[in-house]
Amino acid sequence: MIIKLEKVTVVSRKDIEAIDVTPIVEDVVKNSGVTNGMVFVYTMHTSSGLIVTEGIPCLEEDIMNYLSKIVPEEGNYRHQRYLDFDGRVGFNADTHIKSILGGINAFFSIENKKIIKGSRQTLYFLEFDGPLERTICIQVMGE
Amino acid sequence: MIDFHTHPVLIREVIGDDPDMLKVTREIFDIGNNLMPLEIFFLQMDTAGIEKAVLLPIDCRKSKGLPISTSEIVGKLSRENERFIGFASVDPMDKDAPKRLEEDVKKWNLKGLKLSPAAQGFCVTDKENTYPVYEKASSLKLPVLFHMGMSWEPGTKISQGTPLPLEEVAYDFPNLNIVIAHFAWPFVDVAAALSWKYKNIYIDTSALYFDSPKEFIHYVMNHQLPVTLIERSLRDKIVFGSNYPRVEIKNMANAVRSLGLSEGCLKLIFKENAERLLGI
Repeated sequence: MIIKLEKVTVVSRKDIEAIDVTPIVEDVVKNSGVTNGMVFVYTMHTSSGLIVTEGIPCLEEDIMNYLSKIVPEEGNYRHQRYLDFDGRVGFNADTHIKSILGGINAFFSIENKKIIKGSRQTLYFLEFDGPLERTICIQVMGE
Repeated sequence: MIDFHTHPVLIREVIGDDPDMLKVTREIFDIGNNLMPLEIFFLQMDTAGIEKAVLLPIDCRKSKGLPISTSEIVGKLSRENERFIGFASVDPMDKDAPKRLEEDVKKWNLKGLKLSPAAQGFCVTDKENTYPVYEKASSLKLPVLFHMGMSWEPGTKISQGTPLPLEEVAYDFPNLNIVIAHFAWPFVDVAAALSWKYKNIYIDTSALYFDSPKEFIHYVMNHQLPVTLIERSLRDKIVFGSNYPRVEIKNMANAVRSLGLSEGCLKLIFKENAERLLGI
């Protein structure tokens, strides 16, 4: 049994952004030594998401726009107060809620050193509060 | 577009592995966010439509034991990155402060002076200690940005952020440009009156103490003061400041832009007033 964990840095360059991380995960799987097994991917940040959907720009825009409609930036959020442990005001409740709605992780099976996924399935890191340096964890398990 | 109020306290290349630098960030400046590469600072500026940012150190070695960044750190950053405008900071209680200010400004091509009475533990009207520093800043044509109003840093007093004593400084140094930071919140009306009365007193917008940036800026500039005062009378006296990284630049910029001010007024606040103050 092989278990490998990689922490990969992703830099978001915009306020809100969908970043295709499929090639990154495929590379980690390819280099893991695992032939058959599974890969678990998750974001380490509560104002970001990790989703699987069809990889086309119009859908990227629709997903971000609709999440923003469901959870507007301005709202009666209790989080908008001074957080003494952070030394600043928390005013990004919307980004945390979007993270919950979008989800933060994904699983894929691995067969013959390749991720088994639908031809249109793309793995996205969703930035809700960028630009920032972010980390995603990729754990590969198998034989 | 210029951000007149940022702090280089979360830049990974600056903090490095130095435990003292990290201690300053976490315990003296008191911010818990992750360190970020310098690239993120510029991306934050890009996202907000900001071209240049003023970097502010605070020499609080005597009062806190360690400085919140230094003239040298800021000088190196601004020398290596043309998007940064460096300010100096000296401790007015240090007898060599005027001499060191001149040396630092000339060595690092710094464009202003940052002072924080609350963090540095001095009184702005302590003539014996502060007036030689103001005299030097005035002779070097440096604007002086004073932290005013409430301070988040532990061990600082709100009473040391009351802006009214700056009247005496503005009066005694008519050629010294003074910038009141954070709109001196909660002493907003006093800051506005001082800026209205004295041609050498300016205000920066970097105020956020509760609610969201939009809510707070509207409260300050459209409730505590009428926004018409900004539009009609103080348009030449306000500079945009974010206080990044306590607030992301984009959030504060969007908040100021949402006030309903005219394009001409916004251009003054975001660009022209700062350029005039900085002589650029």
